[in-house]
Amino acid sequence: MLSTRDLVAGYDERTVLDGLDLDLPTDAFTVIVGPNACGKSTLLRTMARLLTPRRGAVLLDGTAIRDLPTREVARRLGVLPQSPLVPEGVTVADLVGRGRQPYQRWWRQWSSEDGAAVDEAMALADVTDLADRPVDSLSGGQRQRVWIAMTLAQDTDALLLDEPTTFLDLAHQVEVLDLLHRLRVERGRTVVAVLHDLNQAARYADHLVAMRDGAVVAAGPPREILTADLVRDVFGLACVVVPCPVTGAPLVVPAYTGGTTSPARPSTDAPAAAGASHGAGNPVVGPRSGSPAVADDLNSSKASAPDA
Amino acid sequence: MTNTRVSTAATAASPAAGDARLAGRSLLRLGPVSLLIRRRAVLVAVVLTVLLLLAVVLSLSLGTPYVAPADVLRALSGAGTPYDLVVFDLRLPRVVLAAVAGAAFGVAGTLIQSVARNPLASPDVIGITQGAGLAATIALTSGMAAVLVAPTALVGGLLAAVLLFALGARHGLAAQRFVLAGVAVAFAFRALTEVVMLTADPIDGLRAQIWLIGTLAGKGWTEAAWIAGTLLVLLPVLAWAGWALNSTALDDDTARGVGLRPVARRIGLAGTGVLVAAMVTAQVGAVDFVALVAPQVARRLVRAERPPLVCAALLGALLLVLADLAGRRLFAPTQLPAGVLTAAIGGPYLIFLLLRGRRRSS
Repeated sequence: MLSTRDLVAGYDERTVLDGLDLDLPTDAFTVIVGPNACGKSTLLRTMARLLTPRRGAVLLDGTAIRDLPTREVARRLGVLPQSPLVPEGVTVADLVGRGRQPYQRWWRQWSSEDGAAVDEAMALADVTDLADRPVDSLSGGQRQRVWIAMTLAQDTDALLLDEPTTFLDLAHQVEVLDLLHRLRVERGRTVVAVLHDLNQAARYADHLVAMRDGAVVAAGPPREILTADLVRDVFGLACVVVPCPVTGAPLVVPAYTGGTTSPARPSTDAPAAAGASHGAGNPVVGPRSGSPAVADDLNSSKASAPDA
Repeated sequence: MTNTRVSTAATAASPAAGDARLAGRSLLRLGPVSLLIRRRAVLVAVVLTVLLLLAVVLSLSLGTPYVAPADVLRALSGAGTPYDLVVFDLRLPRVVLAAVAGAAFGVAGTLIQSVARNPLASPDVIGITQGAGLAATIALTSGMAAVLVAPTALVGGLLAAVLLFALGARHGLAAQRFVLAGVAVAFAFRALTEVVMLTADPIDGLRAQIWLIGTLAGKGWTEAAWIAGTLLVLLPVLAWAGWALNSTALDDDTARGVGLRPVARRIGLAGTGVLVAAMVTAQVGAVDFVALVAPQVARRLVRAERPPLVCAALLGALLLVLADLAGRRLFAPTQLPAGVLTAAIGGPYLIFLLLRGRRRSS
């Protein structure tokens, strides 16, 4: 239902996406991953019509999104931006009610459908008990569920979320992702999210889109496309991919590099390399490529697997 | 798909009083029209209306000669009393002007503050007052006919508004940009006004000075009609604005996500605000402290997250009627311009509310 054709987009002087063609599957949970500044947020923002493309088009069910009235788009496509500004003093129910905006006019400010949709959205996102609380008094995890409830109240078939788990602790990240999973499975919604955590992406996504330098490197079910080669290509990180002990989904475990820069990294992306592999903190054993390190990394993954 | 999803719970959705979803508001249904009304705003509006009526009667009553409130009411009812001349011809025009101008300042302040996302924004901060002031100063010091002063001031205010929009538009009239552009416009026009003032005849300069402070003395039906006419013509826009103000708290991305056009919305709200501000300032001068205080005080009275349009208008009217009355009577027979009194009354009250609000929240 959502696709892009020859999409060119960027900010000011910088072109981030240069002629991107992409089709996202309907009724699936699509996760877009990639290193910082790879264009994944730009892609999501452009698909959500928060950013106007310079060329090309975003198609919603075959119609260019820019040719549709923004209210109509808002009834078919919900958007959760990266860090929305929390309005001061607004209650949870009130904020969730703002999701009904595309169905309202100044002379028709509320209908029974609005009430029903707000109730259902709050129940789905499990924020009904918070209805009377001011949003700015809530914790990060609660707030994020409220924002999701607001987009759910829009009653759209598709939902786009830009890094919905950022700034949340692990338990709240899982909570949010479980909610998105339920929306897909129980409600048949199409969910598209940008995520940072590869393992979470592999665990939850039906369809994974890996991006680098504004282009799609690979797209497909995580179990088919998420390999050590892909991670090296996309992130410039040497790693081992093993089955997750809980779900069987691919689990990406960075290779043991002894705290030095991985040799397997492509030369174009050098500055990001140091940051990606500093976790080891062990005595220097010397750089290794991905595959010989399988045994080491399997052992260490037991202690630190995010899914456990 | 959309319909089936909603209809499951639609039967249980008649919004009862105290419904959390409506967040302290009630639904007012009139045929196809359904409006969400904040219950506390209705209460505050009723109280403010009563107070306003009392203040009006008091204003018509006090002065030389004193007219007992009962006689004021009898005169107003058209019974024909010996006080008709005093009540109708001398006092009523000025009191009505005070109420109408105060309401207009309240409306302008609410709209401007919401676009600026700043409780300290007012026509004075964004340069509308200075634009009108410069034009009025030029008119008053160049021997222009008295009837032309207000229209000239209106042109000056609108010119400042055009400049403000031109400077702020490049960034979609975003809050900071809007205020910054306004402050720049205000300084430019104020400097020009001072140049005109210094080169003018001292007597003319003094008249301009009094105009700038803002006074209702010697004004009445004509000025009130201009302001009321403007508000009346803008009534459909204001009805929309009352609803649109709800979403100004959302950031642009979130607003776009729910199908709004935040930039168009800001241009509409700010445009209406500066139009009202320019008109009312052109008629009564820079009494615009009312525009600063009324929205914020009304917001606190209603306990809403943003200034309520109708209550701000009523409070503005009440403030200006009282300020003008105090200006007339406090140091009688010396008359103080209403502009001085609005600052004297409104300032301490705003400070009081700020202090009280802080104590409660801490």
